[in-house]
Amino acid sequence: MNQIATDYPFAPVSAAEAAERYRAIAADRPMTKVTMPFGGDAWVIHRTEAARAMLGDPRFVREPFRTGERVVPYFVEFPEFLRQTLQFEDPPHHTKLRRLVQKAISPKQVRAMRDSAVAYANSLIDEMVAKGDTADLVHDYALPLPIQMLCNLLGVPPEDHDKFEKWASSTLAVAGMSEDDVVANMAELYMYVVELIQLRRREPLDDLISSLANARDKDDTLTDEEILPIAMLLVVAGFDNTANFITTGIASLLQHPAQLELFLTDPDGLAPTATEETLRHGRFSLGIPVAGGGALVPFVATEDVEIDGQLVAEGEAIMIDPGATAHDGIALPDAERFDITRQNNPQLTLSYGLHHCLGAPLARMEMQVALAELFKRLPQIRLTSTPVINHDHLSQPITRLDATW
Amino acid sequence: MPKVFYTQPDGTVVAVAASPGDSVMATAVRNGVSGVVGQCGGSLSCATCHVYVDEAHRDELGTPGEDEDEMLDCTASDREDSSRLSCQLIIGEGDVHVTVPPEQL
Repeated sequence: MNQIATDYPFAPVSAAEAAERYRAIAADRPMTKVTMPFGGDAWVIHRTEAARAMLGDPRFVREPFRTGERVVPYFVEFPEFLRQTLQFEDPPHHTKLRRLVQKAISPKQVRAMRDSAVAYANSLIDEMVAKGDTADLVHDYALPLPIQMLCNLLGVPPEDHDKFEKWASSTLAVAGMSEDDVVANMAELYMYVVELIQLRRREPLDDLISSLANARDKDDTLTDEEILPIAMLLVVAGFDNTANFITTGIASLLQHPAQLELFLTDPDGLAPTATEETLRHGRFSLGIPVAGGGALVPFVATEDVEIDGQLVAEGEAIMIDPGATAHDGIALPDAERFDITRQNNPQLTLSYGLHHCLGAPLARMEMQVALAELFKRLPQIRLTSTPVINHDHLSQPITRLDATW
Repeated sequence: MPKVFYTQPDGTVVAVAASPGDSVMATAVRNGVSGVVGQCGGSLSCATCHVYVDEAHRDELGTPGEDEDEMLDCTASDREDSSRLSCQLIIGEGDVHVTVPPEQL
């Protein structure tokens, strides 16, 4: 039997081989020390249980990245404005900010938003059908849905949705804009959000910006300087990732006919587990090569901590590779299989612990709605070409998904 | 050794052996009990480990603190008088019976 390579990271190989390698790496060790393109060495965790242990341990913090004491060890240089956001705060300040935002995107609030998501998904499908029998599902469906939901959540007035979408989309990998254009759009977006905060402070409505802007009147006090990064984080994280997840889910189902046939028997009933499986399986379902590498935002150990038998020394950086943990072969023995009925799905794509994705309930709901409504309305939909992927971008998103029905 | 009995929305009951001092959430997650998500790992910031506590245990498990009370307003399934976040329910020497709500996310 051939020895399976356990080097990490590894260059693109077939999805089956990537799954086999991830399994072998996780069987060999809980984590690997990797020299990152920026910020030096960092541990990258491969096993689900080790990842949960780290993510749930308050001895791992992010403050040194926010203050500039440490460069964020990562594949790209972390932009300054992202390092000033909630995800780089530690308790107790993090707790205060997070609670305020959490209430607006809680499971209960998101449940109340579902009907409007269903209505908007169907209006997008109406538009696609009205134009003919083909569409690019990225631009015509997967992107506009989360942007619309984000506008509603933040409280962007309907007349401003178009310009908000233009500014916000400039941050997207799919936009393909020049750096100058991105900077100009971001500046306009910043100014717009500043003005929106001031407007909602004077004239509050039932939206997130209003509740953040007026939190100063209660026990919690938030300044514009605190609200702005939260709003920007929601803009940047709020729809780019969700759009990618939606596209991946659609493409995965279309490329697994047996799973799609099953999905069509009960789209609403199977959407929740299909969504979790999409989040877990990620790019493994697209029939394209998969590289071994990737990670969520890192932490720094405040003291020596042993995780799964490996000592992580004080001051060392550590992060998890959710692609690896989803295929570790320990938490999930048959991880290579794309199974939309999987009940036990310990995926960590939206992270876990104190910094788990604030928008997770919203992202999940949008994915469930997007998958269920599209396939209910257009059960005969099929791809007309291979998904186009931007390999130059960190998240390597699908930028075009041509389909017909 | 105490046990936690998790009644699922369809009426099936899953019994799990537990350790005193552990939470009802952690015990569920570790044993793959469906319907208890606990995405924030017990840091009171996700409301995805919501359970309804059996009448018989309400006194021994205490009442929600201020932070838990606030997060209980965020649960996906309706809040009831018996609602608790299971990450805040610490197992003692006796058995605990809880019911898992139909939705967490």
